Amino acid sequence: MGQGTPGGLNRQGLPGDRKPDGSGKKEKKFEPAAPPARVGRKQRKQKGPEAAARLPTVTPLTKCKLRLLKLERIKDYLLMEEEFVANQERLKPQEEKAEEDRSKVDDLRGSPMSVGNLEELIDENHAIVSSSVGPEYYVGILSFVDKDQLEPGCAILMHNKVLSVVGLLQDEVDPMVSVMKVEKAPLESYADIGGLDAQIQEIKEAVELPLTHPELYEDIGIKPPKGVILYGEPGTGKTLLAKAVANSTSATFLRVVGSELIQKYLGDGPKLVRELFRVADDLSPSIVFIDEIDAVGTKRYDAHSGGEREIQRTMLELLNQLDGFDSRGDVKVILATNRIESLDPALLRPGRIDRKIEFPLPDIKTRRRIFQIHTSRMTLADDVNLEEFVMTKDEFSGADIKAICTEAGLLALRERRMKVTHADFKKAKDKVMFKKKEGVPEGLYM
Amino acid sequence: MAPDPNRTAGGASGSGTTKEGKDDTVAKKKVENEDLSDEDLALKQQLELYVERVQDPDPSLQKVALESMRQEIRTSTSSMTSVPKPLKFLRPHYGTLKAYYETMSESDLKKYLADILSVLALTMSAEGERESLKYRLLGSDGDIGSWGHEYVRNLAGEISQEYAKRQSEEAPIDDLMELVQQIVAFHMKHNAEPEAVDLLMEVEDLDMLVEHVDKTNFKRTCLYLTSSARYLPGPDDMLVLDIAYLIYLKFEEYPNALQIALFLDNLQYVRQVFTSCDDLLRKKQFCYILARHGITFELDEEMVADDDDREVLQDIINNSKLSEGYLTLARDIEVMEPKSPEDIYKAHLLDGRASSGASVDSARQNLAATFVNAFVNAGFGQDKLMTVPSDSSSGGSSGNWLFKNKEHGKTSAAASLGMILLWDVDSGLAQIDKYFHSNDNHVIAGALLGVGIVNCGIKNDCDPAMALLGDYTDKEDSSIRIGAIMGLGIAYAGSQNEQLRYKLAPILNDAKASLDVIAFTAISLGLIYVGSCNEEVAQAIIFALMDRSEAELAEPLTRLLPLGLGLLYLGKQVYRCESVEATAEVSKTFNEKIRKYCDMTLLSCAYAGTGNVLKVQNLLGHCSQHLDKGEMHQGPAVIGIAMVAMAEELGLEMAIRSLEHLLQYGEQNIRRAVPLALGLLCISNPKVNVMDTLSRLSHDTDSEVAMAAVISLGLIGAGTNNARIAGMLRNLSSYYYKDTSLLFCVRIAQGLVHLGKGLLTLNPYHSDRFLLSPTALAGLVTMLHACLDMKAIVLGKYHYVLYFLVLAMQPRMLMTVDDSLKTLPVPVRVGQAVDVVGQAGRPKTITGFQTHSTPVLLAAGDRAELATEKYIPLSPILEGFVILKENPEYRED
Repeated sequence: MGQGTPGGLNRQGLPGDRKPDGSGKKEKKFEPAAPPARVGRKQRKQKGPEAAARLPTVTPLTKCKLRLLKLERIKDYLLMEEEFVANQERLKPQEEKAEEDRSKVDDLRGSPMSVGNLEELIDENHAIVSSSVGPEYYVGILSFVDKDQLEPGCAILMHNKVLSVVGLLQDEVDPMVSVMKVEKAPLESYADIGGLDAQIQEIKEAVELPLTHPELYEDIGIKPPKGVILYGEPGTGKTLLAKAVANSTSATFLRVVGSELIQKYLGDGPKLVRELFRVADDLSPSIVFIDEIDAVGTKRYDAHSGGEREIQRTMLELLNQLDGFDSRGDVKVILATNRIESLDPALLRPGRIDRKIEFPLPDIKTRRRIFQIHTSRMTLADDVNLEEFVMTKDEFSGADIKAICTEAGLLALRERRMKVTHADFKKAKDKVMFKKKEGVPEGLYM
Repeated sequence: MAPDPNRTAGGASGSGTTKEGKDDTVAKKKVENEDLSDEDLALKQQLELYVERVQDPDPSLQKVALESMRQEIRTSTSSMTSVPKPLKFLRPHYGTLKAYYETMSESDLKKYLADILSVLALTMSAEGERESLKYRLLGSDGDIGSWGHEYVRNLAGEISQEYAKRQSEEAPIDDLMELVQQIVAFHMKHNAEPEAVDLLMEVEDLDMLVEHVDKTNFKRTCLYLTSSARYLPGPDDMLVLDIAYLIYLKFEEYPNALQIALFLDNLQYVRQVFTSCDDLLRKKQFCYILARHGITFELDEEMVADDDDREVLQDIINNSKLSEGYLTLARDIEVMEPKSPEDIYKAHLLDGRASSGASVDSARQNLAATFVNAFVNAGFGQDKLMTVPSDSSSGGSSGNWLFKNKEHGKTSAAASLGMILLWDVDSGLAQIDKYFHSNDNHVIAGALLGVGIVNCGIKNDCDPAMALLGDYTDKEDSSIRIGAIMGLGIAYAGSQNEQLRYKLAPILNDAKASLDVIAFTAISLGLIYVGSCNEEVAQAIIFALMDRSEAELAEPLTRLLPLGLGLLYLGKQVYRCESVEATAEVSKTFNEKIRKYCDMTLLSCAYAGTGNVLKVQNLLGHCSQHLDKGEMHQGPAVIGIAMVAMAEELGLEMAIRSLEHLLQYGEQNIRRAVPLALGLLCISNPKVNVMDTLSRLSHDTDSEVAMAAVISLGLIGAGTNNARIAGMLRNLSSYYYKDTSLLFCVRIAQGLVHLGKGLLTLNPYHSDRFLLSPTALAGLVTMLHACLDMKAIVLGKYHYVLYFLVLAMQPRMLMTVDDSLKTLPVPVRVGQAVDVVGQAGRPKTITGFQTHSTPVLLAAGDRAELATEKYIPLSPILEGFVILKENPEYRED
């Protein structure tokens, strides 16, 4: 369904259009291949095999009987499809035939193949290609190559001897982006966060709920927030919270550090941002986490060097991706910084980043929780009274507390003790606080 | 709904400001209330105290405790992600309270406690125990809304389960219904109409809805009801629509009521709408709606008292001003200039081989040009082939074009004049008249057909079609007979004219009549009695079928006989008309050659436009067999899938997917029908994915598949001027320049894409895709069935079956008229329609709109809304003719 205009190149994909139409080609005699429906620019909307199987969207999003009925209707049709296909497979298994065809195609292709670049399409069946090493060649395109997908500049498979085009490489995702995908969920969960209850609730409402319960927002008639920015002193748990989000969500989690977006060549930075969001859209629902956003997101001013200008352009692309012309459906953005005042105001305006979540230094109760979390796996001597540290007047961040615990543990190790004593903690605290206050740059522990 | 609070692990308890000076005792209690802030702790202790007090023997203390507990629960606000704190803290005491409740003696206090238990059960009671409901029924009859929305929602869910259980046990349900009453009232007051409707559907008491709707929410309620109706199994859908109709009547939203009446095909309701409204202007609007739907409807004195008024109204129903409106539209859009077929082919845009040289002036080419000319200039009253020379050079060269066609080609050529003068009865008849005096039987046949086409959808008091054609139905020459019979069928489609039945029915059983005459008679009768379940006509066609000999049954034209039978039951499902089943039984006795074909046709017609999934499954089942003999019933089965599934958007999308599988696995006979089914599903609605599929199929190695795909490309683009399809067809015309049959199909498709120069649509659905015009669908289906055997029928000598499409042709316009029915240009916004069912507030109904001045064209899926406050439209759906009334509250600023 969808509301896309019929004529537009919308993202609906072509249901079933890319399925191998095996039975169509059973004529024995050779027919010249039909001309491609279109030569030139590749259709962007193809999003791999999933696009073909995409089902119509169901409105309303509210949970009601109408939605149930509509979903059931789709299920009924899918069951019928399944039944039909199962029947047909029983009557005359398609797979064997497909296997046969495949092996025939493999024969024609020959092996091994080499990878090259398509330089130019000459006519329906010929093209100019260049291999990675040598010169350019005028070669034929074999009939079984999907000519709709060929476009100048795409990577192709070539026959090893005659160099004719025998296939094309589909994957066009920038490898830089694919690295950003978090494949293995981090171990930190919400339970590992001491305090920050309000922050957790806020990030849940702004990031997780819109992906899991979109109907809540529809009920009220508002658009869910697009993203949040986490800010606060160093060591207050911004990244930790993002990790916990990644741990708990089933959505795709893409993480990137602001500095990664700065690239060597002109235009590469913005391109990477675009790719990042395109991948996020492809894999939606997804959450994009950009840590240390101040690397690219600082206020704009008259830049003198090309490098600075490039960084600003990268930010402009980021602005556009956050709230630009194309709508980002199920992509939520989490930014993190400890210098929110230096960020460009355009980045933070409502509509781009709707929620600003502050991470304060922990209060006493939170401190106690953090101490508990960090000491829970340590063997403490009986005389340890953590309350003394909890109640202290010094300003601690979460990371400071962790440093104290680690330091205390190290002190105990140094003396080959199996238990950490209160004295260790005292010493550790003094050390940490000393380093924090005395001349040593902030945030550089030990 | 909200995620389980326990998962949050302390996330639910607010951080709270911490006060200095906590003592060690607090720290030691950490184990049990790990991280409660002070307030939370206080609340918890408070609640524990209440629980103890409730069990106190002193009733006054109990009362105070209950009151304050109730207070705590009601005032607590929850976040979206967690359970309210009082409920959370009371969880451990649920059991104790429950036990104490059982020991209490009957009193007000007991009821109070029941109330609280009911709320606690919201989070506590085990799945399926419905304790919340149990205690609710035992509790006091207070205002349930005060406990919050979530509670009411939960109750509603439990009620529906309880109801199902009690229904099966046949237990009384009075107490439940009382509660339902309360809940529905609550939901309706709080913008949750869908929930109210859902609950009432569960307890099967939708009638209750009528008393609860009010001015502010009836529209949303009805919208929800009508859109649910499409997906509900019968006969529930009828009930739901009945309720929607009643509500619309109650709030005097007559046009909507009328639409539902038409959807239900209930003429009694239509009459009721007319009698209950006494505004003449609004009645005029009703007549426009009726006219667009294309049914025959006679007004009587009860509906409209005044004779003159009645005449005016009847004129509107009879569509007598349609031609005028259409021409106004054409003039406004400035497309009056006639176009020649060459303007459509645009051969100069093609490079190379086929563009010029190869075209020999063959009869096939001329025939194609005739059709293209007819389709493109349909209804404009002027063209460059048939009408022009008659003014300039004394009729001689007009004959020239006519006589450039051979034999039966002349029939189509003469009939094309009818198409060009579509809906314009007076001048149409005058211009066609000259061909009646021709010596050539084919020309006369064409003239007869032309008269029928001119009168398509128009009724005239003097019945010119009947008067002119009536005498020719019994002529010797079969081509003349066919012309007359087909003309009558087109002119009187859906009229259920008795006189015609007496005239045509005997032909069916006439032993001397040739097969083609009988086939066309069956179709014409089917069209005239479309969806009427008329027994006599059914009998006549059945006998005609039984009389056919084995050899005749193998003829391609025989397929039109079962189709005629099927049209009688178009859209009537079994439970609305039992005779479908009887006829289906009879068809089992037919010769086996035609039996299955007949079965499939009947099934698909009877369930056309219902979206019935079971029938789609049945039809798919038939398509999954692989036949070795030349059985031909799978073609209609495939088209049947499209006919049934086209009812709603979801089914349509899913059917397109299913058809893709048919293409993959099916034999040739199925593959030939798939493009046609796609064409029917997306008629006049060029979806990109379907376009691509058809374009792929148009290069298929099997020429019949390719032909069907090409025709279907024309159908999905019909009347849209879609440049992409036009480009594809142009390329196809050069690709197939050697193959005259395929080239003919390409030409027809090109004509269809530019149907009425882009002012017409073939879509049988109108009024926001809600209503299905039966005659339009009948015309389309007839044409598609004929296309199942392209070579014998369309490419043979019966190409004039293409004229059946005229039944589905309608201007895709929005024309606004003032109270004296003069056109009134106003600005309107036209944009993509948005599904707003069940959405909160007043969401936008269109997106990506542009502002135009009426009259405007509406593409498939478009919706219009007035861009000015100055006028009020009398119909909520801005399509076709809409009467505007001045807004008395409008002020110029």
